[in-house]
This record gives sequence, C-alpha cells and structure tokens, in this order.
Amino acid sequence: MFVPLLSALLNSLKSYKEYTSVPIQWIPNPFQWQNYIEVWKMTAMDTYALNSLIVTVLSVIGALLSCSMVGYAFARLQFPFKRSLFVMVLGTLMIPPVVMIIPQFIIFKHLGFLDTLVPLWIMEWLAQPFGVFLMRQAFLAIPKEFDEAAKLDGCTPFQTYWRVYLPMCKPQLATLTIFTFMTKWNEIMAPVIYLSSEDKFTLPIGILSMSGAWFGQEQYLVAAALMSLLPILLVFLFTEKYFVRGASSSGLK
Amino acid sequence: MKKIGTGLCLSGLLLMSAWLTGCSNDAESSTEDGGNTTKEEVVEIKLGYYSSGSADEKVEELIQKFEEAHPNIDVTTQNAPYQQFFQKLDTQIAGNNAPDVWLSDGVLVQKYAERGAAKDLTEWIESDLNQDDYYGLDFNKGSDGKYYAVPQGIQIGALFYNKDMFDAAGVDYPDESWTWEQLKEAGAKLTLDGQDRTADDSEFDKKSVKQYGLTFFNITEGWMPVLKSFGGGVLDEDLKESLIDSEENKEAMNWIVDGMERGILTDPSDLQSFQSPMSPFPSGTAAMRIGIYARVLAANETGINYDVSVLPKGPNGDRFAPVIANSWIVNENSSDEKAEAAWEWVKYWVTEDEVQKEWAELGEAVPVKKSVANSDLFLNSGEQSINKQAFLDSFEFAGTLDTNAVWSEWLQKFNENADQVFLGETSVEDALKQADEEVQKVLDDFYE
Repeated sequence: MFVPLLSALLNSLKSYKEYTSVPIQWIPNPFQWQNYIEVWKMTAMDTYALNSLIVTVLSVIGALLSCSMVGYAFARLQFPFKRSLFVMVLGTLMIPPVVMIIPQFIIFKHLGFLDTLVPLWIMEWLAQPFGVFLMRQAFLAIPKEFDEAAKLDGCTPFQTYWRVYLPMCKPQLATLTIFTFMTKWNEIMAPVIYLSSEDKFTLPIGILSMSGAWFGQEQYLVAAALMSLLPILLVFLFTEKYFVRGASSSGLK
Repeated sequence: MKKIGTGLCLSGLLLMSAWLTGCSNDAESSTEDGGNTTKEEVVEIKLGYYSSGSADEKVEELIQKFEEAHPNIDVTTQNAPYQQFFQKLDTQIAGNNAPDVWLSDGVLVQKYAERGAAKDLTEWIESDLNQDDYYGLDFNKGSDGKYYAVPQGIQIGALFYNKDMFDAAGVDYPDESWTWEQLKEAGAKLTLDGQDRTADDSEFDKKSVKQYGLTFFNITEGWMPVLKSFGGGVLDEDLKESLIDSEENKEAMNWIVDGMERGILTDPSDLQSFQSPMSPFPSGTAAMRIGIYARVLAANETGINYDVSVLPKGPNGDRFAPVIANSWIVNENSSDEKAEAAWEWVKYWVTEDEVQKEWAELGEAVPVKKSVANSDLFLNSGEQSINKQAFLDSFEFAGTLDTNAVWSEWLQKFNENADQVFLGETSVEDALKQADEEVQKVLDDFYE
C-alpha cells in the first residue's frame, strides 16, 4: 500500500518531462513543490473542496440518522409486514445504480434540484439499504434486557433508541461514517450529471477538468488527487479509536 | 453523549436551513427566467462543452464577447470533464434537458445525428456560410447528405519526427515522397536496444528496446491511416457494411505486425510500460509518431527538437490523413427561438476572425476558417517553428475515421481483435475474419 502512495507523491513533484521520461526517473530533480501551488492557481480548488465538504458532511449526518432509525425499527420494533419490508429494502441493493440515473434525473429536474448540491446528499437522508442493514445487525446483537430495563425506567421507544442503543453502536456508526464519507467524497457520476455551473463543482470534477481532452500534464492531476486524499485520512484517524474500543466492548459492559 | 445529542440537533437545523434556502433560491431563479423572456425578449440558451484544461477560460471569454455583440442572447454554460460530459449529455438527452448547443467530439456527431438529437443545419449552412471558406464542413456530413454540425476546431493527422534522433542515426528527415516501407526502413535504423544496436543488427535484442522507431497508438494515431493508405479500411461508403476482411487490410496489418515483431513499432504491451500511452514521443523515447495537431502541445512542453511532415504513401501511392472535426451541435428539441440563438453562436464562432484567431492562439486545433488557418498567426505561431503547412496540405487526402452512429461500438470490436494480432496471440487472417463478423453484427443490429 505504501509503494503506490510514495510513487504518486514523487510523481506529483516532477516536471512533465521527468514524468514521461523513460526509463522511469524515480526521484524528481529538482523537487517541483510549486506543482501544488500551480494546482491551486489553475482551478478553484477551494470552492470545489468546500462544495465537497458540504455534500459529504450532510450525507454523513443523513446516513447516520436515517440508517440508524430505520435499522432500529427493523431490529427492535414490532409492526406489520416487517419481514417483507426488510426483504424489499435488501432487494433494492440489487438494482444497479446505472439504471436509476435517468429516472432520478427526471425526478430531481421536476423538484427543481438541478444544478444545486441537494441531489448529492438528499438520498443519504432516505436511509440507504446498506446502512440500514449494517445498523439492524448492530441493534440485533444487543441483548433485549436493555430494552426491558429502559421500559421499566419509563423510556419511550425513541428515548430507548437514542439514549440506550445508539451509544452502544459506535463502531458501526464509525464504519458508516467512513463508508459514506469515502463514497461521497470520491463520487463523480452524480455530481457531473446534476451540476452545471462551475462554482458548484465538487473536487473530483474539478480535478478531472484540469486534464482536458488533449493535454495531460498529469503531474498536476496526481498532486490534486493527493491533496483530495487528506480529508479521508483525517476522518479515518478520528474514527479509528471507535473501531478499536467498540470491537472490544460491544454487548454487555 | 450529551455533546453528540446537541451536535446532531445543530446539524439537523443546518440541514433544514440548507433545504429551505435551496428551495427558495430555486423559486427565485425560475421566476426570473420567466420574467426575462416575456418582457425584454432576451433569449436564454444553454451551451455545453467538455473541459480542455486551460482552454475553458478562453471559451468563457469568447462567450462574453458574444453576449456583448448579441445583447438579446443570454448564454449559460455547463462543462464537465471529457468522458463525464458525454455521460451527462446522454442522460440529459433522455431527460429532455440537454443544452441548446453543445460541443461534440467529431467522432460522436453521427451518433447524435442518427438518433435524432442533433438538428439538421443544412439550410442554415447553405444560406449563412460560404462553404468554401471553411475546413471540415463535409467531415460531418451524414450518409444522407445533410449537415448536423459545424466544426469548432479540427484535428488532422501528420507524421511527427524527432530531428535530434534522426541526426544521431544519420537518417534523412521524412518528406512527402516517403512510403510506409521507407518509414519502416528508417525506423529500423532509429530503433535501439539496451546496447545501442539498431533493429537492422542481427544481434538486436527486441526485449530491451530503449528507443522505438515509431510509436503506434490506437485508431487515429495507429492502424487507421495505415489501413486506408494501403487501400483498405473498415466500412464502405454508406458506412453500413464492413470491409474488414480484404486483401488490402491483410497487407496493411502484415506491415504493422512485422514492424511490431521487429521492435520498430510499439505494440500495446510496450505502451503499458509508459506512464501514459501518449508519452513515448514527447519524452523522446520514439523517433516518430502519427499525431493529430493537438500533439504539438505536449511536444512543445517537453522541449524536444521535432518537426512534422505529411503521412507516408501506401504501396499504390494512396495517402490518408485521419480527421476529427470537433463540432457544435444544435439541439433538435430546442424551441425555434433558442435554436436560432444557438445558431447565432455557431455562426459567430466560425465566421468571426477575432474568435478564430484567439482560439488558434491556444494552439489546440487547426482553425476552421481557411483564411485564419493560412495566415501567419497559425502557421508561424508557437514556441517552435515547425512545418504547420503539413497539416493544411493533409486536407487534400483527409478522411474521417469511418464514423457512423455506432462508431464506439464497432471500434471496440475491431480493437479487441486488432490487439490480439498485435500481441501475437492470433493470425492476421483469423483476426480480420473475426473482426469482420463482429463489426457487421454491430452494424446490422443498429441499421436493420
């Protein structure tokens, strides 16, 4: 894992001539640190990064809330058609995203959401099946004695979910956070389809736009891609402790 | 836990406000739209184009000038990276939301034309443009004889060669008398292995080539010019029948395969050892390339000492230069008013010297207007003085890449088979026969 990253880092510090040279020249000479500055000058990276951040943060919040609520309902509450509804939710996992593009596009067009950031995060607030499944399994693993104890203390179902169950699922919430963050941060297809004005672009479009149809100057692309990796690393570092702690303490304390 | 609670509440609020502002913005802009068209009779058009790096700014600048010259037309743009642009466009066409005018890669014009997305521009072109003044109008003509697009800039193929490498090997520079055979002979002298032995040397080690005679990539800058100048090709004149399994194509493919086996031409696996398949020539690892005009940008960037010449002749003296005329297309589904405004933009682009000159200065494409292309501005521009006249001379024997509505599909079938030959996995005869069947099936599926 380390070697590709290192080679990307070195590539990002080369001139185009060194980048294309044969045999491969591993160590840039001199190090072109200005490539990184050039990238910022070439495109509105800050705008793109801000847009990406808005989309990603809203998506993560939406995914955490909606998936945990729906997952809790499927795991802990009793209501009619529960089983068949859950099978339907899982069934939607099997629909390839490509076939949904055009209907979704038409729906968002009628809602007036084209060329806004809304279509990019709103879907996450509607409980994506993968997250629902993940959270349901997490809630199922918790002994139902907690449920009974909470009821005795006078909790409503929502309070039980919010105060008792959710805090016990931090590892799964951390997983969902990283998963959603990564997909949304790197997503390219949906932003391209829904966004038209440049000031709404997210990072992946911005980075790809730099390359153009004819003229690569790929070293700038590599530099930009590396910079866009940073937030993912940060999120991973922040959520990592929940993985470790969570894995050892789930269930009864 | 309390902290998380408040955090979530806050973000909930944030979300609500984002949602509300999202909605209200939208409502405002839509009333604005309605107001403008009725009161001041300003036509709003949407213009789509794919990004080409730094050229985007120039496009926006030219659009501004256009708006100043046409105060009754308001242009909003949308752009996206090349590949994603066309994915988006297909979705938009399906959702009836495509731009009123968009820039199409030359090879995709027929796809939009034959699927009814592009407006027939024949009448407008005949009444508003003097056709002799422009390069490439005919390259977009459909097999029905109608025009569906107007070129924005033209890519045409020529032979690029590295002068320093020719000098070092003591080989004369290419000129218009060259045949593909001569190119290979010169290429053999220009191909070097790890011990600096040339491809003519009996000791030559083709596993350790460090300098190739000719880099060979894909269709435009690879097999298509060779096939066509040997008298072969892929499709018939109507672009509905495959001609792949012919003697001429066999001869051409044998020429290519022989060059690859001797290490003079790069084969597909050689190209994989480069950071980018485009890099052997600009990095000075190949002495020659078949290159479209835009390749001067990368060659200038690395600063190699190079020049260009017309592509070599085939055994019967035929020549062929591949052409891609990237073009403006007007949306068939736009209202008459918008379509006319879109046409104003297209007309502005090709007729105005000013626009043509500014675009030519970027050096991405051969200008569409002949007077500008033949002026000093194009011929003597750029960091290196190269023989740009070669590109203009090539128009005499230029042709398209047999582009039709299913170009991308048949190309994939052909390439799969061609690659197998180039990698030595199958014989030329078998591959051509197989490709012929597969390509014909693609054509039949669409046209019947």
